[in-house]
Amino acid sequence: MAKILVVADIKQGALKASTTELLSKAKAIGAQTAVVAIGHQITGLVPNLVNAGSDTQYIADDPGLELFGAGPWAACIVDAAKQAGATMIWFGFSESGKAAAPRVAARLNAACATDITDVVLEGDQIQIVRPAIANKVIQRVKVNTPQLVAVVRAAAFEAAPGISGTENVVRLAAPAPDLKAVVKQLVSDASGDIDLAEADIVISVGRGAKDQAGITLVKELADDLKAAFGSSRAMVDAGLMPHHKQVGQTGKIVAPTLYIAIGISGAIQHLAGMSGSKVILAVNKDPEAPIFNVADYGIVGDLFEVVPLLREQIKKVRG
Amino acid sequence: MKILTTVKKVVDVELNIHVKEGAIVEDGLQYVINAWDENAVEASVQLKEKHGAETTLVSIGGGDNAEIIRKCYAMGIDNGMHIEDPALAKADSAVFAKVLQKVFEKGGYDLVITGKQAQDTDSGQTGIILAEYLGLPCVSNVVAIEAVDEKRLKVSRLGDAGTEIVELALPAVVTVTDSINEPRLPGMRGLMMAKKKTIQSMDLAALGLSADDIKAVGPKSEVVAFMATKARKGGEKFEGDATQITAKVVQLLASEAKVL
Repeated sequence: MAKILVVADIKQGALKASTTELLSKAKAIGAQTAVVAIGHQITGLVPNLVNAGSDTQYIADDPGLELFGAGPWAACIVDAAKQAGATMIWFGFSESGKAAAPRVAARLNAACATDITDVVLEGDQIQIVRPAIANKVIQRVKVNTPQLVAVVRAAAFEAAPGISGTENVVRLAAPAPDLKAVVKQLVSDASGDIDLAEADIVISVGRGAKDQAGITLVKELADDLKAAFGSSRAMVDAGLMPHHKQVGQTGKIVAPTLYIAIGISGAIQHLAGMSGSKVILAVNKDPEAPIFNVADYGIVGDLFEVVPLLREQIKKVRG
Repeated sequence: MKILTTVKKVVDVELNIHVKEGAIVEDGLQYVINAWDENAVEASVQLKEKHGAETTLVSIGGGDNAEIIRKCYAMGIDNGMHIEDPALAKADSAVFAKVLQKVFEKGGYDLVITGKQAQDTDSGQTGIILAEYLGLPCVSNVVAIEAVDEKRLKVSRLGDAGTEIVELALPAVVTVTDSINEPRLPGMRGLMMAKKKTIQSMDLAALGLSADDIKAVGPKSEVVAFMATKARKGGEKFEGDATQITAKVVQLLASEAKVL
């Protein structure tokens, strides 16, 4: 029987929806479920981990785990995987997951797959599905090892309504610190922002917004809609938007219900990062901009004119 | 400092890719240097210019890689190595990492810089697994590299909670994103000089690896079929009076798409 260990996605002390989504999928394919949670002062999350659908909770709670470090994280996950007898270890889509998964796989001598969108079990044989070549093709991949370590793409799996688990807490020993790669400082300008990976609506701003005034204009629309606020690479490179706001293959891959691209032409890496969105609206001056090839609705026009009108009209329909 | 950079030849992602009967249609494809590896090359050359270093690149597979390697020479890379072997036909990240491990051990490097992922697989694993095989520290998704002294680097990594500033003891592996730099365009003189330089071509035996050594590592996974991505089709594009078309689109978002 498949035994799946899900690595809990914890941000700013809260358990993210991806953990429930992954555990739901694990249960749907008939696997036993366990979760491993790593951090500092996270023991209070045990009820949340149970409610997310786990039947065993491995907890690594230590001051040395306050800041993410791929080495110590991998050590905790390998420890939990061995104790659980896990046949698969799943990470939610995150930079931490992408950094830790190959390490865990190397230590377990297991196959590793990133960006997966589906898992198919045929007896003991595991196959996965994932996009490749900037989302231009889908691969079906056969796993040759008994174990698989995988990073699941954002929004690939859905949370099952009414999912629950049982409490069975196992404490993990604190791992040795990584003295060769020491996180000296975390420069965070992300606190308080709506998470791009989880938002129902994402609004991204591109070069068309020109400067800070243009960004502020678009941000007001995002605020009206309680949307997460993202950016194209061009605005990040120009120093106008912070790195962590970048949507695309370098940056965040998003799949919201509604994605609004304002003043973004649609470079291939950007498209690969947002074309999984349910509905896309694009606003751009250039009718030939590639973004219109993926947008369900396109407005050809000057964003400085269109964005205030959008705010006004949206307020009207939302009442 | 001795820096090793990896460069992969990949399919040009800017062109259309067609799939037929579970395989990618080769006709019409073009191959280029992996864009993130180009950032790795630039990062190596910048470190060389600032602190002095011997820069070596290694490219595995891809057939005739001379053009790509010469471009990197023209950007400022000192030595180039191309490894090709039939046993690498189905190589996955673990196999690439095994080969790179051997290259590293033979050459005695202080730093490996790779792109954060290759554009053909988008896996993002090889550099990190290499570090595990070598027992070295590794920082991935790096946007800035600074040398602290002969033995240490300060690197900035984009993490989930913000930018992580990491002090890294050498030898180490770093994987970089495209935000780290803008790769230089090689000049005429550099390109001319690059033509005169040799490329060291090797098979696994020359490296001291057997086909069985490779089999012991992988491939741990292999692609059994390719499928076309369900292409998004552009929908309605509205042009004309901004007030009118905006009102129309908002109405459609609310009533037709039901997302407002």
